[in-house]
Amino acid sequence: MNKFDTPISDRIQKIKEKRAAINKNLRLNFERNRILTEYYRTHETEYPVLKRAGYLYDWCTKREINIEDDDIFLGDAGPQCRTVHFDIEQTSRAWIKGCFGDTDERFRAAWQVPGSVWVDDEDRKWVLEAADFWVGRDIGATARGLFPPEFFERFPEGMDLTNLTGSYPGHFNPNYERAVTVGFGGVRRIAVEKLDAIVKHTTTDNVRSELFYRALIKVCDGMILMSKRYAEGCRKKAETAATPERRAELLKMADSCDWIIEHPARNLWEGFQTVFFYQYLLTADGTHWADSPGLIDSFLGPLLENDIKTGALTHEQAQELCDAFLLHIGDQIIMFPKPDNNQLIEAHKNGKTMFDLQGGMQNIAAGMLITLGGQKRDGSGDYNLATEMLLLSYYRLRVAEPSLALRINKHTPARIWEIAIASSKRSGGMPQFNNDDVIIQTMLDKGVTLEDARRYAVFGCVEPAISGMEWSMASNCGSFGGGAGLLGVLQSCINGTVKKLYEYETFDELKAELEKQIKSSLAYANRLSHFAAFVFNTAWPILSASVMTEGCLESGRDVSWGGAKYNGMGSMFNTVGTVTDSLMVIKKLCFDDKTVSKRELYDALQTNWEGKELLRQQILNEVPLYGNDYDEPDSIMTWITSLWADTFNNLPGVNNGTMNCGVLDLYWTGTGKFTGPTPDGRKAGDPLSPSADPYPNAVKNGPLSYVKSVAKLPWDKMRCGGAINLRFDANSVRGDEATSKVRELIESYFKMGGIQFHFTVADTEVMRAAQKNPQDYQDLIVRIAGFSAYFTHLPFDDQENYIARYELAV
Amino acid sequence: MEYKNSAAHIYDIQGYAVHDGPGIRTTVYTKGCPLRCLWCHSPESQSYDFELGYLPIKCLGTELCQNACVNACPEGAISADEPIKALDGSGMIQKAKIDRAKCTGCLKCAEACMPKALYASGRDTTVDEVYDRVIKDRGFFQNGGGITISGGEAMAQFGFTLNLAKRLKDGGIHICLDTTGFAPAEAFEEILPYVDLFLYDIKHMDSDTHKKLTGVPNELILENARFLAGRGGALQIRVPVIPKLTDSETNLRRTAEFCASLGEAVKLVQLLPYHKTGRMKYDRLGWRYKLTNVEPPDDAFMLKTLEMFQNTGLNCQLY
Repeated sequence: MNKFDTPISDRIQKIKEKRAAINKNLRLNFERNRILTEYYRTHETEYPVLKRAGYLYDWCTKREINIEDDDIFLGDAGPQCRTVHFDIEQTSRAWIKGCFGDTDERFRAAWQVPGSVWVDDEDRKWVLEAADFWVGRDIGATARGLFPPEFFERFPEGMDLTNLTGSYPGHFNPNYERAVTVGFGGVRRIAVEKLDAIVKHTTTDNVRSELFYRALIKVCDGMILMSKRYAEGCRKKAETAATPERRAELLKMADSCDWIIEHPARNLWEGFQTVFFYQYLLTADGTHWADSPGLIDSFLGPLLENDIKTGALTHEQAQELCDAFLLHIGDQIIMFPKPDNNQLIEAHKNGKTMFDLQGGMQNIAAGMLITLGGQKRDGSGDYNLATEMLLLSYYRLRVAEPSLALRINKHTPARIWEIAIASSKRSGGMPQFNNDDVIIQTMLDKGVTLEDARRYAVFGCVEPAISGMEWSMASNCGSFGGGAGLLGVLQSCINGTVKKLYEYETFDELKAELEKQIKSSLAYANRLSHFAAFVFNTAWPILSASVMTEGCLESGRDVSWGGAKYNGMGSMFNTVGTVTDSLMVIKKLCFDDKTVSKRELYDALQTNWEGKELLRQQILNEVPLYGNDYDEPDSIMTWITSLWADTFNNLPGVNNGTMNCGVLDLYWTGTGKFTGPTPDGRKAGDPLSPSADPYPNAVKNGPLSYVKSVAKLPWDKMRCGGAINLRFDANSVRGDEATSKVRELIESYFKMGGIQFHFTVADTEVMRAAQKNPQDYQDLIVRIAGFSAYFTHLPFDDQENYIARYELAV
Repeated sequence: MEYKNSAAHIYDIQGYAVHDGPGIRTTVYTKGCPLRCLWCHSPESQSYDFELGYLPIKCLGTELCQNACVNACPEGAISADEPIKALDGSGMIQKAKIDRAKCTGCLKCAEACMPKALYASGRDTTVDEVYDRVIKDRGFFQNGGGITISGGEAMAQFGFTLNLAKRLKDGGIHICLDTTGFAPAEAFEEILPYVDLFLYDIKHMDSDTHKKLTGVPNELILENARFLAGRGGALQIRVPVIPKLTDSETNLRRTAEFCASLGEAVKLVQLLPYHKTGRMKYDRLGWRYKLTNVEPPDDAFMLKTLEMFQNTGLNCQLY
């Protein structure tokens, strides 16, 4: 028994059980889509930013106010707890027609069987009609109206821009701090002042700002009303409360809801509840995948500590609130991506669900991440009782979502280190550890001020951005690379699209071609990123973000018009191990030693190593590969990753911001299935190397050499993050002494320049047992990449890949 | 400092060896040991000579390799085994089969084996080569970590161990020496200035029993422990707790008393409960594992033993 093992309350246990039960009876949320469609149908000519505000106001004032019997926090983004969200305006007509316009029998097999995400007949009928309304009016329609001709030439048939602008950008840290400490009332007051000033001096240039402020005021009005509607709901619910205690609690909640949203939160419960109300708004606006509440302990800690000081809360009550917060913040669920009926029917037949189809991203969640700890604006440490209690919640509850990041610097208290390592041992990879020293420098390199740089928070998986100030839209626009990927470029340079391996006279010639191709593919991807951002700028403002993000209120511009104080667009590259090893093999065997001819290696790749097993074994056993602290492969790795990062980071940023390179992969097993053989000895269909980590089989010199090789990656250029991901066997991390050794390992990696460190403790034996008896291992959590997942929910291939991952055993 | 670039036989170098002393350590495992402990979890460490190891899972079948190992063997000790299904589903294969009775340990098959299913259980090296390898890890040694020289019995290749210790000491590296204590006192005297901490095993207090369990008596071992303690050496004593063999109340009590009698020199005593993780290593060498009827001790017994050690005033932990 660990010293952090304290029992969780009955109430929390019940909420945990309730969530597990709902997971078997999930419903698709149509409420938001009905209100949205109705508003857009009746206000067709309204200017986009006003139309969006009108919809959000309607949503606040018309949505169902649902207060459940035992809940500690109120409401949800949908009409019931844990509904699954999707956005109808996200170019979803083809998907809707495919799923809901299918035969009755197939529809029912996909959406009305146990384990499915339930859709009523009535909702089915409605959404089919609504889909017709959105033809020519959805986000894809805006994109088709402005994208450059060469794009359509490159992707002629069937490319409906779904993957490009199919969803809202997401991937940012909304300014929850402003929502909690200033409130929508405070924001509204400033918006009114700004509006008054503009009205006195109207010019063509500031008309758009005037419309923006009017929209902002409308959103604030809606939110203030929604909070009061919850107050009313609490009072009504109190009338039928089962116990006098619950009745008193509901009445107290009612008083709080009358106050919060308009005004700053006065205590911890109000702070948490404000975070939730704002989260619901963000979800209703657009299903922002992977947004994150920023430095939450920093702005809630003072409320918590004050409650303890005044005696308003006992330690146990405060811990219970933190536990309840952690469970409820994970109640936001986004469908990502959208599966078709064939996939769903097949999954249901095998006892699987929609969430098992997501190639490793199978958590029933919204890709959210919480950041704890860090520094205040003046550089002093920012750790408080909320940091500790929220960390303890992760330790106690063993949940795989939302993800958790802990910031590490010289101020990090020993006790926080201790709880964090204990939690990560128990709840695979929660938290990930972030190196302030290097990450703050990467923020400065983006042109951020030092005071602001100290306030970075991680969102998504590993991506740092300035909390509440940066419009970072790391993924959905940015990662659409027009086909740009490190391994793809390498393949095109050796397998024929650009040139064939045997056409190069020297290794330097191959390097030069790679450089040329990397530059041109990134430049093209960058051009498309600007078009993608312009789609939102033109017709799809993101008011839920703009209402709080620092800079928008001040400048009178939506985030999509460049209103945020900082603007960034991130993109991730991956397969570092596979690419490095492939280049190393080519260099050593074909150019340096000349023991294998270029033609022989090229032919082996064309035939998937058929009849070339001995050559493959020679590669696997005799070529020095990445991950062993060998200078030669490691310098190839440093060369190509620097080239990629420098090229990317120096391209023009969207909204005059910066382009931010990172390194991350979530799908190396899945992508591997569709990737042909590679010169590192990998066969077609085998998994690729994960993110920045070496290929597991290539690791021959043990963990310290592994860590050192990965530390050589130019992490100071990875403004969008990237982690090393290790697995320990239980024996290596047993006892207090081992805890301090894990800390030393992390600190050593950070001193060598690494920025993020994830680890899981899971014995191969335990995972084999979990495969056999999954019901006994429901809370076995493993770190995948930027997120953690329940091992037993992983598809079999991913389980195998995880077990094959290099294990730090001693 | 003067040192010789002595040669040695080693079988492994491991980073993040968290059980081999304080902090993060990289451990060099030398080959050869005068003891033959029944519970030995590193059978490949016992002999100074290299032996033939075999990991059948890596064997691709003799046909694919054009009988490379079969043809390499001058004794005819390797043949093709019965056909079985290949793991990758590519069809039937016949893996290599070793007739250990015929094998002389010439290792020619290991040289010929491309996938390294057949391998030598160690390699030749020198002080300089080992130094260049382990010094790369020094970035991890900031909080008390360093290099551990282990075995086998590291003192059995004394020239190498002494010179490696000298060279590392010169580089400012913290050095642990993991030893059975079964080596001449003069050797310990010579190496003492270069060792920061001895990881020192006390396996049994009764010399006859010690001989039965390990093949050697214990007088020299106990004497060397007293010698090192008296000459300012720092000791971390390790006591294997093997059910039925070393776990008698008398033996454990006498061990605790002996450790306590060494005074300040003993920085820590670690009680090591028996574990079975070394068993599969025996298969690879084609050896028989002897302790088939011994199970790991239960937690309650280990806690009781811990308490007994602590009551003598020793800083003691379960490991």
